[in-house]
Amino acid sequence: MRVYLLRRLLHIVPTVLMITLVVFVMMRSVPGDPVVALLGDAYTEEDAVKVREVYGLDKPVLVQYVIWLGKLVRGDWGASILSGRPVLQDVLVRLPVTLELILLSMAIALAIAIPAALIGALRQNTWADYTATSVAMIGVSIPEFFIGVLLLLVFSFGLNGFLPSSGWVYLPGTCPMMVCGVSLWGNVQHVLMPAIALGVGRAAILTRLLRSSMLEVIRSEYVTTARAKGLSERPVVLKHALKNALIPTVTVMGLQVGFLIGGAIVVETLFAMPGLGTFGIDAIIARDYQQVQGFALITAFAFVVINLLVDLTYTFLDPRIRYA
Amino acid sequence: MRLPARSSALATLLTFAWVLVAPADAQAPKRGGTLRVSYGNEIAHLDFHTAPGYEMMWVAMNIGCGLVNITPDGRFVGDAAESWQVAPDGLLYTFKLKKSVLFHDGTAVDAASVKFSIDRLMDPNTKSGMRSFYESIHSVEVLDPLTVQIRLKHPYAFMLHMLAAYRTGLVLYSPTATQKFSLEDRKQGKPGAVVGCGPFKLVEWVKGSHLVMDRFDKYFVAGQPYLDRVMIRVIKDPVAEMAAFKAGEIDFIASFSPEHVDNLKVQAPKAQIMTGKETTPMLAAMKVTVPADGKPMSKERKPHPIFGDLKVRKAVGCYGIDRKEIVKIAFKGQATPWVGMNPPGTLDTVDVNHLCPYDPAKAKAMLAEAGYGPSKPLTFDIIADNEKSVFNVIATVIKEQMARLGATANIRVVDKVSWMNTTLQDGPWDMYVEDLLSLITLDSNGYLSNSSSTWSHPRHNDKRTDELYARYARELDPAKRKAIAKEIQEFFVENMYWNNISGSPFYMVAQPWMKGYTYNAEFEVHYHTVWLDK
Repeated sequence: MRVYLLRRLLHIVPTVLMITLVVFVMMRSVPGDPVVALLGDAYTEEDAVKVREVYGLDKPVLVQYVIWLGKLVRGDWGASILSGRPVLQDVLVRLPVTLELILLSMAIALAIAIPAALIGALRQNTWADYTATSVAMIGVSIPEFFIGVLLLLVFSFGLNGFLPSSGWVYLPGTCPMMVCGVSLWGNVQHVLMPAIALGVGRAAILTRLLRSSMLEVIRSEYVTTARAKGLSERPVVLKHALKNALIPTVTVMGLQVGFLIGGAIVVETLFAMPGLGTFGIDAIIARDYQQVQGFALITAFAFVVINLLVDLTYTFLDPRIRYA
Repeated sequence: MRLPARSSALATLLTFAWVLVAPADAQAPKRGGTLRVSYGNEIAHLDFHTAPGYEMMWVAMNIGCGLVNITPDGRFVGDAAESWQVAPDGLLYTFKLKKSVLFHDGTAVDAASVKFSIDRLMDPNTKSGMRSFYESIHSVEVLDPLTVQIRLKHPYAFMLHMLAAYRTGLVLYSPTATQKFSLEDRKQGKPGAVVGCGPFKLVEWVKGSHLVMDRFDKYFVAGQPYLDRVMIRVIKDPVAEMAAFKAGEIDFIASFSPEHVDNLKVQAPKAQIMTGKETTPMLAAMKVTVPADGKPMSKERKPHPIFGDLKVRKAVGCYGIDRKEIVKIAFKGQATPWVGMNPPGTLDTVDVNHLCPYDPAKAKAMLAEAGYGPSKPLTFDIIADNEKSVFNVIATVIKEQMARLGATANIRVVDKVSWMNTTLQDGPWDMYVEDLLSLITLDSNGYLSNSSSTWSHPRHNDKRTDELYARYARELDPAKRKAIAKEIQEFFVENMYWNNISGSPFYMVAQPWMKGYTYNAEFEVHYHTVWLDK
């Protein structure tokens, strides 16, 4: 197990580096550079040339990448070309917001998916099953921003601001700035709608997947054996069947993290949340290369680490799985 | 019960007195509270002399102070300047500063700091977008600690307009703080690095989250500002912005999307919706020249293959575009169709719409004269950047109007940075739809439309435009200046160097409890007189 873990941890390094290299090259292939936005009204071609020299943007792309990498090794994530703010500082300020959003949306997704899938699987071809699968199908089909706008219309417009439409309030003890709104209830109020908007689509996917896994598992021999031994339906379903059926679901959950990060960009923009999603999209739009690299680095790292954790979860779900 | 005559008279007097006093009391500014402001775009950075964007400017106007400000009716009022004198030949401006004006770092605002700030703006190394407006200044001299003199190379009729409201206007910098902190510190908004002499001092800027300014207790206007704090958040989505406003989460939207105004009136009927005559031109620019040697920004130019021909420019831009229809569809009628480059709300504006009546038959005939017709159909591209949805709508209507002429316009939607790169760097484009800059004077549009500026995207090389602008800016007689302004506006229409569509409406929205704000479009956004009636 230790060897496996070490090997996987070592795999993280080339994977993340490859992703950052691809992003680095791609960003510089996109038309436009940040110098235009930086100089704004004062733009002249002569000044643009000088500024590009200052930021090393006149060097070949691979040389720029090596320079960026060299600084990264020393813990320097660089600074925003536009605002001059250290990238790492901005990433760390925004990370908790997105982390909380993603965790809660995944929790909401599971809270919807598990009961819906169980009902669908255990009462296959009944109205309950049809309802669960239909709702899942609708959930898959509706994009996050549309659910978000509907929630805004109902809970912010309709119910006289019952839930705040924008902004962020931090959990007590987590404020990373000088000025923050801090309150547990305020935090719940602010994260609820974005998390639902983000979680519903994931719930739909997981419901469909878990239902089909459950259908397969409850027809397997060991479940029949458990029933034949006289076990009641509850432990048969929850302990024997569900645990095994969850393995493909957990795999997909890990992969869904990528979609959640993508969805967070949309949802954070809609709800004006100061998270990594808005940080990433603003950086891409402004061609702020250093910030884009920071965003790519943190999301790539999060993605591979979460998928490693997912793989490790298999051993808990199915003791027969061993890593060597 | 009947009151004795004396008591009755006293009661009447007291009632009368209450009637007189009570409304005055109700309008007396209340001190304290936090004004929660929403901006639709991110603040670029906090070096006010170089940062682009209105969002930065609206912060600069509150953290910084300058020499003069301008009122909505065009009067100049002193900011740090107590008084000023202009020599009869217009070559010497003498400013007397108010005593006891302090920067937030405790140092005095004196003549030396004014000289320091103007010199900094004029220094090419500063790379300020304001530099071109200071071109007329010969030197700045300190006469005594409270008197500063600006000597000009030639008369500049818009000197005070420029100092008050071109972009941020002049923002005074503390020499001490500027020398103590680096440019990077100031851009990031590091504590202590952003020092102004305005009513609010910077507390914190966290990009993507908020900017917080607190009352500067030593502000030179006694008793002001009334607010304890101004908290600015960025809400980019207009629907979310409207929801936050309706829920009372924000007090003031500094720039509200015009297409959502009607909806807001329904959602928040008590909201104060502020607007005025348009000062921003909405244009469908056409490229006039391209590099002859293929090198972007080359001085060797040749006519653009399509719009290099004046006949085509006039056929498309002048007679082929139905501006009324565009305004009806894109702005729901809430803008003014306007051919002139100087929008209806800008100083010295002239209605020149009669020069370009919508006449598709004439447009078709002109295109035929230029060689376009069924055998050689006119085809061109329109770039619309996605910063505002209205650009795309206008481009779509133009496309439809071109189809009526037998021409094909292909729309290319790009992001703002791509648009800036293409237009600023002399890239390949035929026409674009944009609103560029809010204009307080026609003079301030010079650097977007003369023959040499990088920002003059059509890249016409007609030196006559420079001569007209120079004559306009140097003319000190307002009546003569107005005549030159008319000449400029007609000249640009006749040559279609600036294909204006309409004014671009601007809206600010405030909660009913926000009091004391004076609307002055994008030019002056000050919170020091604002108070909250909660």
